[in-house]
Amino acid sequence: MKKVAMGTEAAALAATLARVQVVSAYPITPQTVIVENLAEIIGRGDLEAKYMPVESEHTAMASCIGAALAGARAFTATSSQGLAYMHEMLHYAAGARVPVVMVNCNRAMAPPWNLYCDHTDSLAQRDTGWVQYYCANAQDVLDSILIAYAVAEEALLPIMINMDAFYLTHTSEIIDIPDQKAVDDFLPPYRPLNKLDVKDPKTFGNVCGADLYSSIKFKRHSDTLALERLWDQTAVRFAGKFDRTHSSVESYQTEDADIFIVAIGTATEAIRLAVDRLRDEGLKAGGLRLAMVRPFPMDGFKRAAVRAKQVIVIDRDISLGAEGIIAQEVKSVLFDRREEVNLTGFVAGIGGNDLSVETIVTLVHQAVSGTGEAVRAGSTLWAEVLS
Amino acid sequence: MQAKKIINRLAELPTMPSTIGTMEWNQTGDWRYLTPVAADKTAPCRRNCPAGIPIPVYLEAVNRGDVQTALALLLAYNPLPGLTGRLCYHPCQTDCTRKKVDGPIPIREIERFLSELSLEEKNNPFEMRDKQVTIIGSGPLGLSCAFFLGCLGLRVTVLEANSRAGGVLLDLSKQKIEGAILENEIKRLIRIAHIRLVTDAVVDLKGYGNLPKSDLTLLDPTGGLEASVPAGEGGIFDPFADEEIPGYLIAVTLPENLKNFKASLIAHYIAAGRQTAEKVFGHLVGSPEQGKGEPGPEIFLKGEALESPQNADPSTARSPVGKGTEAEGAGRRKGILFEASRCLYCGTCDLCQQCISSCPEACVRMNTHKSGVSVDLDFCKGCGLCAYECPRGVITMEEAES
Repeated sequence: MKKVAMGTEAAALAATLARVQVVSAYPITPQTVIVENLAEIIGRGDLEAKYMPVESEHTAMASCIGAALAGARAFTATSSQGLAYMHEMLHYAAGARVPVVMVNCNRAMAPPWNLYCDHTDSLAQRDTGWVQYYCANAQDVLDSILIAYAVAEEALLPIMINMDAFYLTHTSEIIDIPDQKAVDDFLPPYRPLNKLDVKDPKTFGNVCGADLYSSIKFKRHSDTLALERLWDQTAVRFAGKFDRTHSSVESYQTEDADIFIVAIGTATEAIRLAVDRLRDEGLKAGGLRLAMVRPFPMDGFKRAAVRAKQVIVIDRDISLGAEGIIAQEVKSVLFDRREEVNLTGFVAGIGGNDLSVETIVTLVHQAVSGTGEAVRAGSTLWAEVLS
Repeated sequence: MQAKKIINRLAELPTMPSTIGTMEWNQTGDWRYLTPVAADKTAPCRRNCPAGIPIPVYLEAVNRGDVQTALALLLAYNPLPGLTGRLCYHPCQTDCTRKKVDGPIPIREIERFLSELSLEEKNNPFEMRDKQVTIIGSGPLGLSCAFFLGCLGLRVTVLEANSRAGGVLLDLSKQKIEGAILENEIKRLIRIAHIRLVTDAVVDLKGYGNLPKSDLTLLDPTGGLEASVPAGEGGIFDPFADEEIPGYLIAVTLPENLKNFKASLIAHYIAAGRQTAEKVFGHLVGSPEQGKGEPGPEIFLKGEALESPQNADPSTARSPVGKGTEAEGAGRRKGILFEASRCLYCGTCDLCQQCISSCPEACVRMNTHKSGVSVDLDFCKGCGLCAYECPRGVITMEEAES
């Protein structure tokens, strides 16, 4: 069934289709629509779930962890400061190996107070052990949440589905809502082998000495690395049912490209249009979307970028005192080809600035020509900065 | 419990880290600073009441619909509920736990309602003592003292120079208290405690011999009488401070803040009367341990009244005194019963187990007699959740124990 919906509505619909059993959340702009929609859906009786209006994001995540340990499919959503407030519990969720799925609406971290798009909030949680997926459009939001539950419950790892504030959360698009029955076939109920059970008492999150700590962490690292493949396989299974692909790396016009424009989130849609424009100008440009940031899709990226000579990374985030976080990630994965690759990192489109086709084309021109309006600081070029 | 399993290879490591071991080795009790103490406590309403009325006890009877027992329980501490129900500043409501939920129980309103019921008394309830007390002045202190002494079986005569009893109460305006209500309250007090009230009495302290023959005579400071004890005949007695009765003719004195009668402090005068009565009883008869102890409701009620099904049904409880239609009376009774039903009975554990379910260490447990809860102090970190959750204030966090 086709419907016009905002990204936040798509997220609430996805959680409903996934038949989540526990929703525990604290409202924050621009996530609020998601939990309001879910509260209404649960209130109407259209979804059999416990809705917990908790007092903080820390508790939202703590109760999702508890619910998942008790064997329930748990969902929450947050943004920016709320995500930061969850930080401790994010480590816990990943360490306890609970398949919680959370939507994060990428919003700038304060101060200065700003409600608009910036990826630093979730990228700052990069090392918590969560899988991170960045959506390109509203359909991607709906589908990736369904895929995420299937993957999370198989790998026993939590997954964060990220969507750009306002460009995605509050923009209406046409989405295709899958059939409940088809979703049920794709995503059976969560039946964990290990859970809280009074008949089989055990402790979760107990003390562990040096004898096993490394092994437990090593196992989690290995399982997280393997998740790239698991996601792509599950996405193929999803595509077989619903005819839509959502792989961890997406390429556009890269077969013969010399210039690779790399980004995450909604900007990747504009990059496709920019690639078309640049090709009209005679530049052999291609777009490379990192849908997944953790685990870093090493295999998919290397395969896609095998012939890249000039790489342009547009970061909607910044690791202050270093450079754009995605630029760092891409650099590290291209390290073995460092002699033959030239990389330019931009920071653009933060705090409410639009990453329009024109902006992207301008940035590519600066990378190619070496001159332009973006201001250099360290190895990063900043767009939209006072001169 | 499963047997201990030793993991030698990575492949044997389960995905989700969990253990079948316990944390019992980690006795977190020594992290504690404040200690939860679970013990019966005085409810805040009673604690704040100047007359020490056990309010939750009579509210429980009201809640059962047994308003006769409730009235008797109230009278056992406060012989003038119609006055306190109108005049008292009701500190009983200030700390009512119910405030945290919705609003305080309207205790003053309930007291007034009970005061308007007529009480079915015993005919010959008291064990009579062969002692006589004369009280000069019929103010709230004198009447209260007379009431408690009467209930303890002493023969009490109250001398009032005026044509009506009441002392300083007679000076109150009609807005504060209607004459008929004051009269009814005093009548009931006199009747229950078998007091002999003499109005228009000629009181001449100098001619002490003209007074009725008594083992003790006392002057009521709220009697509205300007008089002092003649030198050598007795002394001054402060019921809140003094233990010894200084002779056979005593002038009761009050702390500075009570010396000028204030209607809103009526319960303090009732308490002073009771204190005086208990000490006079101890002086004339013996200490309360040897005597009958404090008066209970049983001394006012016929035995069957306590259990009477007729009294247990609020709809058949006797009509309150005063104006208003029968339907209005029934509506008011219903409202009062509802208000009484909101009482949480603070200070006594009713095994609601909220403390048990809120303890993160699972160390609050039912005691062996299943009569209350106990805390395993080996594990209690002193977080205070049990005290916070306890709806009746039975658990408090205290800086105790070495």
